[in-house]
Amino acid sequence: MAVSSADRLAGIVGVGERDTLMFPTALNLPAGHPLNVADIEPRSGIWHRGDPALQTAWLDCRMRSAVLSTDGFRRLVTDGWINPPANRARFTLIYTPGETPGYSAWWVGQQEAQPADLEVSGRPDLGWAQLEPGWPVNVLRAMRVAVIGVGSIGAAAAEVLAGYGIGTLALVDPDRLLSHNLIRHPLTARDLGRTKVAGLADHLRRTWPETAVEPLALDAVVDADRIRPMLKECALVVCAADGVTPRRVVSHLARHARIPAVLACVLEDGEIGEVLRLQPWPSRGCLTCQREHLAGSGGFDPEPALDAPYGLGSDDRPMTAVAGDLHLVGTLAAKSAVATLLERAGHHDQILPGDHLLLALRPRTDLPPPADLRRTGDQRWLQVGPPVPGCPTCDPDTGPR
Amino acid sequence: MQVSTAFGQFQTIVNADPSSVAEARRRRNLFRDALQPLRDVVSVIPSGSLARATQLDPIHDVDLLVEFVPAEHPEWGSPGGSADDALTYLAGQVMRTLGATSGTVANEVRLTSKRNHVVKCFLDDPEAEDPFAVEVAVALRQSDGSLLLPERYNSRWITADPEYLISQVAGRQQTWSDFVPLVRVLKWWRTNSAGLDMKSLAMEVLALRCLPVQNTRAAALAQFFTAAATEVMYGVFDPAGHCGEIQPDLDRDATRSKLLEAAELANEALDAETAQDADKAVALWTQLFGAEFPQPSGQQSAAKPASAVAATLIAPRRRIRDIPQG
Repeated sequence: MAVSSADRLAGIVGVGERDTLMFPTALNLPAGHPLNVADIEPRSGIWHRGDPALQTAWLDCRMRSAVLSTDGFRRLVTDGWINPPANRARFTLIYTPGETPGYSAWWVGQQEAQPADLEVSGRPDLGWAQLEPGWPVNVLRAMRVAVIGVGSIGAAAAEVLAGYGIGTLALVDPDRLLSHNLIRHPLTARDLGRTKVAGLADHLRRTWPETAVEPLALDAVVDADRIRPMLKECALVVCAADGVTPRRVVSHLARHARIPAVLACVLEDGEIGEVLRLQPWPSRGCLTCQREHLAGSGGFDPEPALDAPYGLGSDDRPMTAVAGDLHLVGTLAAKSAVATLLERAGHHDQILPGDHLLLALRPRTDLPPPADLRRTGDQRWLQVGPPVPGCPTCDPDTGPR
Repeated sequence: MQVSTAFGQFQTIVNADPSSVAEARRRRNLFRDALQPLRDVVSVIPSGSLARATQLDPIHDVDLLVEFVPAEHPEWGSPGGSADDALTYLAGQVMRTLGATSGTVANEVRLTSKRNHVVKCFLDDPEAEDPFAVEVAVALRQSDGSLLLPERYNSRWITADPEYLISQVAGRQQTWSDFVPLVRVLKWWRTNSAGLDMKSLAMEVLALRCLPVQNTRAAALAQFFTAAATEVMYGVFDPAGHCGEIQPDLDRDATRSKLLEAAELANEALDAETAQDADKAVALWTQLFGAEFPQPSGQQSAAKPASAVAATLIAPRRRIRDIPQG
């Protein structure tokens, strides 16, 4: 066995008879795992064929924090019993083909046999399939979702989308990961200087290997002509891009691709989180229309033609939103996106209470309605209003029916 | 009463009377047998809900497509008066073979009337309430397998593929034998839901998109109502991709609202069934479909189903079990 004493962890790297190694095996653990560099201890354990009752006893002992007497344990070992050494407990693996569990592991001393935690690695049945039938794995596996803007919110959203089982993620962002990003971004210094989409794609492939990831170092505004056809192949787009212009572009492109868009951001330097779902329906407006409705009610300023300043992490513009809050908004955006897809597939338990969520992150006492949330964690769901007459995105003469 | 039993009983109410179906098929076959032998006819193709087996009671009409040999009518298929000419020709052939006084094959058609796409052939008294009619259309096969049909009011011919929906429905039925019966249930719900102004064909196409194969009819319907409430907002289009939106004037928001109401009841019923409260589940389905849906056990003779439903719904709510999962 390879034994890492510091981690109280051992892995079986070969099976033999006495001093002859007959079946060397690889643990296939990822780089950096402590067992990859652990000392190999020959003849450190023993493999028995046992009575199925031994497996039941293993489960029972673990549940009740109990042990077996070594005599009792010995009576259940079918053949090949060898007394344990006097000075230490010996690792013993029991295999009973066709039983559940098929394997159990014990530390066997001269007086008692203590059950050990055991993991059989490399099983092919441990992917998303484990979540079936409680979670609609096959519905989501068939979906392709675009995430435009993979900064702190978008990267968190992408990770959660993969965790929900989205089959394909198209990641769109031209930016590179810089030092000042690290305080908020899920990626680490390991990816410093790479494009965020490349780093995040590698990260997702390591963490969620069943999700296909397509990194696209494109700008939503400059490369709109390339994003437009790509969205037509997607079931939904999540947009967590910085600034007004790219969000408006995504709102426009999604409506014309006839797919829902979920836009996520923080407002007022991180006081309020916002998740806005835009449905490409004739009776629902786009981002600009919704902002105009809110401006009309007096609670929001109209969206500026030029982006307002906010914390970028530069010397003159310090960070204003904190990683946990940004990741929370990203998680809520991903949840809203998956709920939108599943509602359309008929999953009633995924119907959202509205299309527009405002979430208090660090609320001040003077925020106007509808953002007048007083306690952190307070939420308000709004509905999206109809298209504003003359809107170039929603106009039925130019927009979708 | 178990939910599956209630659905079984309800299905017999929804389904068209077998004798009506047999008579409709007899009349359809009469037309097929009369028109098929004509030298310029390629085939007579059953169409409409009877061909898809999604018909409801009462059956008012039967649809047929008469595919003609293009070479026999080279002027057909072009914009202009040929659309009207083709329907006039077909009406003449119907009366010649099946006319009540001088038909060469049978004497059953009292009157023909040209409509936009079809010739409506009355076999009952046209003045009677809801007279039975066979609607016959002219069709020309195109190289891609689709059909050209005359559109008389616009003096043009349009491309359509009604056989596509028939084959899709048949395929789904092969996968799940409850599919077509449930389409009838949905069409029945459409007909009997006040304020729902949705075309029958739109509901059938919506069912094709949103009615899943499920373990039970109840689960499939619950999933349908939720999915359809979203799908209808995108518009219901010809599944073959030729004829565009089936009902452009459909009030999508009002229809979504109705479908969501039904989804709430259906999913509440599903939860009640999961909680093994069959009476509550049946009562909720009764609330959804109305008094013709069977009543819960012990309320078979209930004169006022609404109050029976209210009484059943006062059951205690589920409690949260403190079994945390981290």
